Amino acid sequence: MKGRPILGTLAVLGYIIMIVPILFVVSTAFTAGDALTFPPQGVSLRWFGEALAYQPFVGALLSSLQLAVVSTALALLLGVPVTLAIQRGKIPGKSLVEGLFLSPLVVPELVVGLALYQQIMIGLHQTSFVALLVGHTVLLLPYAVRVTGASLALADPAVEEAARGLGATPLRTFFSVTLPLLRPGIFSAGLLSFVTSFNNVPLSLLLQSRQFRTLPVTMLDYVQQSYDPMIAAMSTLILAGTVVIAIVAEKTLGFAKIFGGINK
Amino acid sequence: MSRKPALLLIPGLVFILFGFAIPSAIMLLAPPSTDTADVFARFGAMLTDPYDLAIIWRTVRIGVIVTVACVVLGFPIAYLLARSTSRFAGMWLALAIFPLLLSNVVRTFGWLVILGSQGAFGQLLVVLGITDQPPQLLYTELAIVLGLIQLFLPLAVISCYSAVAQVDAGLDHAARGLGATKSQTLWKIVIPLSRPGILIAGTLVFAGATTAYTTPYLLGGSSQRMLSTQLFSYASVSVDWAAASATALMMTLLVFMVSGLSSLISRKAGVTS
Repeated sequence: MKGRPILGTLAVLGYIIMIVPILFVVSTAFTAGDALTFPPQGVSLRWFGEALAYQPFVGALLSSLQLAVVSTALALLLGVPVTLAIQRGKIPGKSLVEGLFLSPLVVPELVVGLALYQQIMIGLHQTSFVALLVGHTVLLLPYAVRVTGASLALADPAVEEAARGLGATPLRTFFSVTLPLLRPGIFSAGLLSFVTSFNNVPLSLLLQSRQFRTLPVTMLDYVQQSYDPMIAAMSTLILAGTVVIAIVAEKTLGFAKIFGGINK
Repeated sequence: MSRKPALLLIPGLVFILFGFAIPSAIMLLAPPSTDTADVFARFGAMLTDPYDLAIIWRTVRIGVIVTVACVVLGFPIAYLLARSTSRFAGMWLALAIFPLLLSNVVRTFGWLVILGSQGAFGQLLVVLGITDQPPQLLYTELAIVLGLIQLFLPLAVISCYSAVAQVDAGLDHAARGLGATKSQTLWKIVIPLSRPGILIAGTLVFAGATTAYTTPYLLGGSSQRMLSTQLFSYASVSVDWAAASATALMMTLLVFMVSGLSSLISRKAGVTS
């Protein structure tokens, strides 16, 4: 940063905008007072206790985890074979097919949510879990296809051909050669998918029901009615969970590698 | 395996067609219990109605401001980190990317604490004697803009970072060795060569900012509606499918127009350079 006063100032300003609001949430979570004010009045853990004892938050947390796990698994199950077909097969209109699988990144999530609300929940009388599972899986498919695709594209197909040439069956080749090549990509895609599903608001908001509501939606609802430090405590718990995921990501593959696949 | 790619493709293809492409198309063009003509009539009406026009204009304005701000703040971070020899550069990069993993709701709550009526910023102004009363900062366009910059800046940093990292640092040294100043090197070498990445950053941020829901909902309230919050209110409060579809169509067209424009620019740049 030395000798770069303008660039340095802009960069510092950028970091302040990204990080400082998060620090404010954390600091107000530890207040002993009753109001969400700054500076906090005294230090205590009472709001963490209240957040963890508040049944709507706990129930919604379990719903969010359940939805994130199932939709991530489904997206990988559907998306990884698509990646294999795109990267290794000879299919006509390859870029068109890839474009189709990436298009959920471009279409606004509210559009997808409203479409599924009208057609799956109202039209087909399905539960909100079914609609949410479809919606979230659609949203995650681009990660499953693109991020695993990026790791497969780096691997030389000759390795697989060699395995076949040495007499391995297609199935054996897949499990002992292709799958290990794919593993880092699948790991990255799974991690990004889980986080994306867990944090999603637009789809989860439009497709919620009284029986099934995710944590972010419940928190949005809560803050409209009561404005107290419990919401800051719950946010801080989510932050702590996210930090754990980030550390796992950094220690296993590295951030740059995990996020590198998105922007190609 | 390569002989039967269709078998691998079909389950995913069926899912994305029936779970995404077809429902979205139906919702945009032929929603239940209304005609396509109604949707287009509402779409046309939006373009002349002052209330709707104000929402469209606010959405575009916020989108442009946030995009420019994210590139102007994100590029320096990316550039300084990509060219840094410090052993902490990796840590700083991780710190810039980390917010992407964190819930939008959590990130946006921070602004409630800062900008709210009991918030830190207002109190600070009072303590410093700048104002007597904490100013109304929440539920303003400024609040939405700040919230969206926070949300999308990490995305701009990643795109710019991978673009700058691909520009050989040797070119910087060569330009400097030939007598260019630091700012000449930046403007004549680094920025032109990383333009595709900057363009991607801008497109991603614009698309995200104009369609985001949580931030305008929490920080803009009902007085500062954007297309997304308006769409949600048509869908869930007034249950006006034609209006919801028209608004959704407007939002989708806006995003498609901008990403189309950006790929046009990058293709043109690719031909000339």
